[in-house]
Amino acid sequence: MEHLLWVIPAFPLVGFLTLMVAGRRMGEPMAGWFATSMVGGAFAATAAVFFGLLGRDTGERVYEFTLFEWLPSGEFSVSFGFLGDPLSIAMALFITGISTLIHLYAIGYMHGDPNFSKFFLYLNMFVFSMLMLVMGDNMLLTFLGWEGVGACSYFLISFWFGDEANASAGKKAFVTNRVGDFGFMLAMFLVFFTVGSLNYSDMFLSVMSPDGIAESTATAIVVLLFVGAAGKSAQFPLYLWLPDAMAGPTPVSALIHAATMVTSGVYLLTRMNPVIAESANWAPDMIAWIGLFTALFAATIAVAQNDIKKVLAYSTVSQLGFMFVAVGSGLYVAAIFHMITHAFFKALLFLGAGSVIHGMDDDQDMRHYGALSKAMPITAATFIVGWLAISGVPPFSGFWSKDEVLLAAYENNFVLWLLLLLAAIMTAFYMSRLVFMTFFGEARWSDGHDAEAVDGEIAAAEDADDDATVEAAAEAPSREYHPHESPWQMWVPLVALAGLAAVGGVLNLPFSHDTKLLEKWLEPILFGNEVHITASTGTKWLLAIFAIVGGVVGIGLAAAAYLRKRIDTKAIEAPILAQGWMYDKAVTDFMGGPGRRMFDAATWFDANIIDGAVKGTARITTTVGSRLRLAQTGLVRTYALGVVVGTVILVTYFVARMSF
Amino acid sequence: MEAIVFFVSAAIILAGGLGVIVLRNPVHAALSLVATLFGVAVLFIDMEAYFLAAVQVIVYAGAIVVLFLFVIMLVGVDKAEDIYAEPIIKQRQFAALAAAGMLILVALVGVAFAGDVTGQPSNEDMTISRAIENPDGTTTPAETSNINQLAEALFTDYVFAFEITALLLTIAVVGAVVLARRPKGDLQPLPDVEPSWALRKPRAVTPTEATDPSAGDDADQDPDETTVDQAATDGAETDEAKA
Amino acid sequence: MLNILAQPPTDAIPTPDVAWSGLMPLLILSGGAVLLLTIVSLAKDFIPRWFTPIYTVLIGIATGVAAIPLWLRVTDTPSAADPNNGPFATLDSSFGVDGFSVFFTMLFAAVVVLVALLANDYLRREDIDGPEFYVLMMLSASGGIVMASANDLIVMFLGLEILSIAVYVMAAMHSRRIESQEAGMKYFVLGALSSAVFLYGIALTYGATGSTNLVEIREFLSNVILLNDALLLAGFALLLVGFGFKVAAVPFHSWTPDVYQGAPTPVVGFMASAVKAAAFAGMLRVFWLTFGSYRTDWQPVIYGLAIATLLVGSFVAIVQTDVKRMLAYSSISHAGYLLVGVQAATNEGTATVLFYLAAYAFMVIGSFTVITLATGPGDAKTSLTDIAGLARTRPVLGIALTVFLLGQAGVPFTSGFFAKFYVISAAADANSYGLAIVAMLAAVVAAFLYLRIMMAIWLDGDEVADPTELAAAKAGIPVPWGAAVVLVVTVGFTLVFGLWPEPMIEMARDAVPALAIG
Repeated sequence: MEHLLWVIPAFPLVGFLTLMVAGRRMGEPMAGWFATSMVGGAFAATAAVFFGLLGRDTGERVYEFTLFEWLPSGEFSVSFGFLGDPLSIAMALFITGISTLIHLYAIGYMHGDPNFSKFFLYLNMFVFSMLMLVMGDNMLLTFLGWEGVGACSYFLISFWFGDEANASAGKKAFVTNRVGDFGFMLAMFLVFFTVGSLNYSDMFLSVMSPDGIAESTATAIVVLLFVGAAGKSAQFPLYLWLPDAMAGPTPVSALIHAATMVTSGVYLLTRMNPVIAESANWAPDMIAWIGLFTALFAATIAVAQNDIKKVLAYSTVSQLGFMFVAVGSGLYVAAIFHMITHAFFKALLFLGAGSVIHGMDDDQDMRHYGALSKAMPITAATFIVGWLAISGVPPFSGFWSKDEVLLAAYENNFVLWLLLLLAAIMTAFYMSRLVFMTFFGEARWSDGHDAEAVDGEIAAAEDADDDATVEAAAEAPSREYHPHESPWQMWVPLVALAGLAAVGGVLNLPFSHDTKLLEKWLEPILFGNEVHITASTGTKWLLAIFAIVGGVVGIGLAAAAYLRKRIDTKAIEAPILAQGWMYDKAVTDFMGGPGRRMFDAATWFDANIIDGAVKGTARITTTVGSRLRLAQTGLVRTYALGVVVGTVILVTYFVARMSF
Repeated sequence: MEAIVFFVSAAIILAGGLGVIVLRNPVHAALSLVATLFGVAVLFIDMEAYFLAAVQVIVYAGAIVVLFLFVIMLVGVDKAEDIYAEPIIKQRQFAALAAAGMLILVALVGVAFAGDVTGQPSNEDMTISRAIENPDGTTTPAETSNINQLAEALFTDYVFAFEITALLLTIAVVGAVVLARRPKGDLQPLPDVEPSWALRKPRAVTPTEATDPSAGDDADQDPDETTVDQAATDGAETDEAKA
Repeated sequence: MLNILAQPPTDAIPTPDVAWSGLMPLLILSGGAVLLLTIVSLAKDFIPRWFTPIYTVLIGIATGVAAIPLWLRVTDTPSAADPNNGPFATLDSSFGVDGFSVFFTMLFAAVVVLVALLANDYLRREDIDGPEFYVLMMLSASGGIVMASANDLIVMFLGLEILSIAVYVMAAMHSRRIESQEAGMKYFVLGALSSAVFLYGIALTYGATGSTNLVEIREFLSNVILLNDALLLAGFALLLVGFGFKVAAVPFHSWTPDVYQGAPTPVVGFMASAVKAAAFAGMLRVFWLTFGSYRTDWQPVIYGLAIATLLVGSFVAIVQTDVKRMLAYSSISHAGYLLVGVQAATNEGTATVLFYLAAYAFMVIGSFTVITLATGPGDAKTSLTDIAGLARTRPVLGIALTVFLLGQAGVPFTSGFFAKFYVISAAADANSYGLAIVAMLAAVVAAFLYLRIMMAIWLDGDEVADPTELAAAKAGIPVPWGAAVVLVVTVGFTLVFGLWPEPMIEMARDAVPALAIG
């Protein structure tokens, strides 16, 4: 069964290639169904490989499939091969599974889009790249996938690039990710020059040998990898692009910017755990503390956002911070566990948000929502499951994984735990705020657009709506909004994900070693680098109770503020929080100042010099008409001046070096 | 004596060179080129390379510059070009700066080296005819024939360079013919067909007509527009140069 | 009569021996060019149009074939059976035949064959008289061979001029396009300036070392410790300007975009491959081989040039909208990578430069083949929007261009990846970590440029999706057989050596230059 390994990425690749050639001819909805079936096929193949590996003994659960040796001899040996081990298969399982659901969802969501088939082309390409990332058996393939998902993310964010904001968000993602990629490349380079191989198994063998790698080198590699991971997984200070990336279509936000791509940083660090084990202690600590800071920082911002997708975006950043805390504390299983459950519930939340946005005529402002649970019962029900999961209410999946992460933090440092608990409480708070503002309370959507109503008649009609009861408004939609349940392609994935989000915790129940399925499964790839929990069972119970109480407190506070109106929401939604602690603005200002000027200079250079040179010469060509004159448009003089100045610089340098 | 000759002829060369680029009338410029070439010939004599001096005068000053003048007069551009139009802001200043820098550096190198060259004067080791021993024991330098020395250099050390110059001349001839020849038929602009595979509306294309070179009256050129475009070039060039 | 001729006069100059076998490829190529010129001028009316390109291809192949026995000879070590093996020089040590020069000879032969195939259809399409183009191209390539083989600075200079002047004329050859004339003129004026500087550099080097012969210069520099190296270092600077101009290194690159945009596209392919290769050959011969003992003096300059070239080439390319201009900046950034290899100043660095040049030559000729076909009559439609959707209407051309762009971006499984990889690792081996890092950064940035072109040809152009229009578009670009052969060869080269670079890099390692006396 595990021989099917190469089939997993082949499916989306075939889908991508077919759509590229014939996507337009297939049209809607054929292209969507085709893409979905390809990813579904990949999921089936992954499941087959999974069961194949499951049949093996724990120690032998590694299957390497080398498609071909890229350069068999010589110093640089890289094979083009896939690695089927517990980690990559676990990743591939949830990636293909969630992707299938989101593809299905997108068929409904993208209905009527003029670039329908192109969207699925990108999605399939993304799945392929993501699978390359997790299944590549060497860093170079991982890097290829890494670049591939980045490119897809960039394309998909600016998918509707008629919109200026979307295009600039795409650029922002591109630029921030460059910083991260640079870190990854340097790390790869360093690995290659110290270890001599990029293949994971060879690399780990040599790293784990007694005099495998110097501590300083390992530390440098880890730090560089973390820069890469921080770029991709939106950690402070490179998180900037993720909230903006929400400009893309919602299925993209769910798939790429919540469930899969953004977690690849966590995957990378987990994969490289032997190197982390060799590095100086401060490196993992740094990862944990930056993760914590990001978790707290993003949570505070999420509290004050009004755009439903922005809330979820900051929530994603915050949850990724949780995972990094776990990685930094050495509990990789907790990180992967949280990554998987997070993929379930965050994909669910995003898709639910998409469903709401879909129903609300593409309005994303939560202030215009309210009482939607009546209009969209399925969306609301599934969304509530996701909300309870992320808030850490037992027995939903988020509780179990978050509890593991908190335990990891507690093992590491008490302060870390305390602050992380605070972040968890805030998570519960802002998610509850989102749910209450969207699905409960009073409907605000009938009068939401008063200011925009220029026509007196419309205003009058809306006034009439105001008088109606909340229920009536829901049943008799206003002139502005027609909240409605989404088509089945959209709610089926929601239900499926809700199911997963609810019971996902069984993957790794902490009651005994036998119920820690994920931990047992991942054991072979951690090489004993997983930190052992020393806390007693009593402490664990106590921590769990703290976590539950924290979640409940968060929800309660939100209820007090947004349902009962006991607390003034203005105090909570401080402008500085709404603006993300002005960090984004500061960066933008810097970019708008010196940075922007540099960029402007390049643009100006293009517009005035390059274009001007062409147009200028062309103009003179037509007016003057003399050929010889062409050479004297001034440009040759300028070029010659450039050459001469260059000469002067070179000669100056050499004169400075002369010995006489 | 040698030094005086050197400095005088060097001054003539420099003045001639400056004249070529400064004088506004192309005929005058061509004539000042003669001065430069003549000065070089004097330098050759100063170094006792008589044959080269003669060749210099006959070939360069005699043939090549005369050819230049023919062309200038035939094509009829014997009027002053307006080279003082400054299409690029500060270009001149930069050029002057660069030139000054170059001069200073060359002077520095010259001072640093103080004439301490490794190469040998030509008539010391390239002599073919032996020096004559005088009866009183002193030697008179041989009557070295420049032609012989040149021949020896050309047919031994530099024989390959000498031979492949033929290729260069071939290229020059072919190139001159190719560039001077008008294509058969009229100089029609190429048909401006829109390629059918361009799925978008292409931008407006400037007509690429080649007009008669003799029609070149450039007085009506709009200086302002070029100034803007090219000022940009100016700044960018220096930026890059600084980098 | 014969008797008289056979008896030398007593004071005859002893002329040097000529090893004709070593000169064979050069003689075939340049002789072939002159012969073609003679044939077409004598029998112009009897010669069919297909004759000249076929003839040129055959001459190119003959040149390459003639180089093979030389290659086997010079890369062997001398043995009792074959004492003549190993590098040698001829014509009074002015023409060196070593692995390095033979490698370049083969490369130029390949370029001549490919560009001749490509140019055939182009010249017909643009109605340009053919024979002169082929003659000039062959002569220019001979100049390249001379540069790569020169053991004397004067010979090097002549090779440079033969190479360049022919290319100036070729650039201006499209007499119906004013841009072409302009390109030729600009290239000529600036090229003349740089040649003058180069010549001045030769003079200063001669002044400092007393010879123009590279062998003697190297002997001199290794035997004599110069108390005063001012003249020599000034010579270095000026020689570097000359080479830097030809390879389009920043800040001597300013001509590149204009000339690439204006010159006929096949000529641009020739410039980007052959001229760049020849200039790097000369640079390596002069700086690495001859001035190797002074490498601490020139290495930092190459370092600076490389960084400036990499950065300008990659960053400015991003804002371009014209495909030929984009590829011009891309060629500048490639010059930067090559300088990274030169800067290493090791045998390995030299080998990586050779590998890079070979890989790049094929990729760039392939790219410009597609551009030639896609931009239509008069090379007029070269903006990014003009080629939008190309890959959907002509998938084969699109895939080919994609392969070349991926190769130039340095994506794995193309020869371009190994080219970049080897160069960067050579720099790292030479402890130039900063340069290696900048090179990688530039690679990341430059990837964007290639991505943009790929996006344009694959994804843009949705506005018109009328099936009939698409069908009409399919008939829009004929792919003549010559161009088809070029595409097959270049794509094949790029992919085969992307998967299996071993033979090529081994060959490049064998081709390390040597200065032989002869």
